[in-house]
Amino acid sequence: MSIVTTSGLKKVYTVGDTTINAVNGLDLAIEKGEFLSIMGPSGSGKTTLLHLLGCLDVPTSGTVSIEGKETGDLKPTALASIRREKIGFIFQEFNLLPVLSAVENVELPLRYQKVKPAERRRRALEALAKVGLSERANNKPGQLSGGESQRVAIARALVTEPALVLADEPTGELDTTNTVRIMDLLRELNKQLDLTVAIVTHDPMVAERTRRIISIRDGKIESDKAA
Amino acid sequence: MTFILRNMWRRKARTFLTIFGIVVGIFALTVLGGMTARMNQQINGMKSYITDKIEVAPAGSSVRMMGGGMGGVKLLELSKVGEIEKVPGVKGASGMIMVQLKAAEGMSQPQMMIGYEPIAGTSMFNNAKLSVGRELQPGDAGKVLLGSTLATDLNAKVGQPVTLLGKQFQVVGIMDTTLGMTDSWAFVPYQDSLNIFLAQNPYFKAEGLTQGIVVFPKQGVDIEALSSKIQGSVAGIKTTSPKQAEKQISNISTIFSAIILGIAFIALFVGGLSVINTMIMSVSERRREIGLKKAIGATTGTILREYLGEALMIGLVAGACGMLLGLLAIAGLNRATHASNVVIFTVTATVIIGPVIFATVLAGLAGLFPALRAARLNPVDALKEE
Ligand SMILES: Nc1ncnc2c1ncn2[C@@H]1O[C@H](COP(=O)(O)OP(=O)(O)O)[C@@H](O)[C@H]1O
Ligand SMILES: [Mg+2]
Repeated sequence: MSIVTTSGLKKVYTVGDTTINAVNGLDLAIEKGEFLSIMGPSGSGKTTLLHLLGCLDVPTSGTVSIEGKETGDLKPTALASIRREKIGFIFQEFNLLPVLSAVENVELPLRYQKVKPAERRRRALEALAKVGLSERANNKPGQLSGGESQRVAIARALVTEPALVLADEPTGELDTTNTVRIMDLLRELNKQLDLTVAIVTHDPMVAERTRRIISIRDGKIESDKAA
Repeated sequence: MTFILRNMWRRKARTFLTIFGIVVGIFALTVLGGMTARMNQQINGMKSYITDKIEVAPAGSSVRMMGGGMGGVKLLELSKVGEIEKVPGVKGASGMIMVQLKAAEGMSQPQMMIGYEPIAGTSMFNNAKLSVGRELQPGDAGKVLLGSTLATDLNAKVGQPVTLLGKQFQVVGIMDTTLGMTDSWAFVPYQDSLNIFLAQNPYFKAEGLTQGIVVFPKQGVDIEALSSKIQGSVAGIKTTSPKQAEKQISNISTIFSAIILGIAFIALFVGGLSVINTMIMSVSERRREIGLKKAIGATTGTILREYLGEALMIGLVAGACGMLLGLLAIAGLNRATHASNVVIFTVTATVIIGPVIFATVLAGLAGLFPALRAARLNPVDALKEE
């Protein structure tokens, strides 16, 4: 069974008189353990697609199914529950909470899952160890470099052992060295934990490090091939 | 919880200003609350005094005798006492003469001498207990029953003599502290106080004078009906039944309640607006955070609780600070007036808990709208913002 499938997926924005087909009839299936990238120029609908796949946004038409279950009729709280249990998000800007330490940031999704504090702390430290940041656990985001911040964000995405990790331009704010490190880390986690990872990027260097490259343009799939 | 406190700490100056605004209001509320509590204490003391008797004043006088309005402008003939006692249902009536012992100094109560004719089988003070000795009895002469504060001032002991306005009295009893104004009063037989009154006011020739009359009903008689009956059958007087007296007293406490309410409204306005402002600002500068939290699975309810918690925390902290400052001020003022045996403030549970609850609820209500706005934020839009 696929982790996520879409059929006829569409997202239309209306701004004034103009309508924008951000995602325009898209069929896609992602299998367990895949390590793939979604490529495309700016404005091609990558972020919109990622938000739809992660149940953060609802499509104008078409469907998204997570582990075979259609999400179209679900209420907002049910969608929140899917995001909480099944999805891990990674963003270009890291989006760490500045008042929380690294380990507390990683704990946040577990807090929303109502995991007990001691268990929460143990699992968060474990996730930080996986991204090689154990010694920075008590630092605030302001004291971390860009590469370190993104590794904390990755730990936060995988701490709940999600079915699918969705990353939106995760290396967009990093230099080449850190970009390579983050990609190596994601690949390593994908192999070791059988973690399913989908990475949105417009950087060919990032795409060529994945196993499957889906190119989109104007909200449609242009090509979909194994790398 | 740690969340909330750290977010508040992040914007120290703003949080402090918001809290300060509420603290000022709550401080005022606490101090006035302490004053009202004291007022109510005195009023309750008066209420227990008036429940079982009818007060009679000269017709046309607007102020009740025990209300303190002793202008001495109008007097009644003592013969009115006899007339009233003839009305069916009246057990007994007593003339009253009040003489000032010592004028009010600063915030202290005036010391008064009250003369009345003790009536067998009745008590002038149905609820106030005596700490030692007894009440005045029929046939007493040259005896005095002292209020607690006055007894302390005079260093008086039961059985020993005290000198009041140049005349010696033997102390027969000392009353328990009531916290009401009778604490600084001395009760003597009618004739003794009349003699002193006439000596002070030599232009009054008549011997049979009274400033007011207290009427005791017979057991089982409807006291309100009896009051109107006396009013109807004796000329030149004005009766005040317990219900009427209570209404007059309630008016005083209504005025005080209105002042408290006014202060509460000002606190409501200033505090509420600053909480709304602070919360709107902290929501708008944390839109991205809210988007992130929703992306990792926080529900609308979760976000609502987080922001509401922040508002409630502001209210709780501010309320507690304002209340503690208020209590400090009350303690200081009470100590300052202690020397003159005056208590202006009373601290009750309501005085302590009331303002804190008020501040917390107020902040919660003010935070509700910004918290709802935060909770309903579309995460996709919030995450796209710079
Ligand atoms: N909230 C929105 N309102 C209107 N148009 C939007 C909105 N979000 C995205 N778009 C438009 O949809 C298209 C796709 O956007 P996006 O998915 O962010 O592209 P990408 O991530 O590939 O750069 C763009 O043309 C963008 O302007
Ligand atoms: Mg994008």
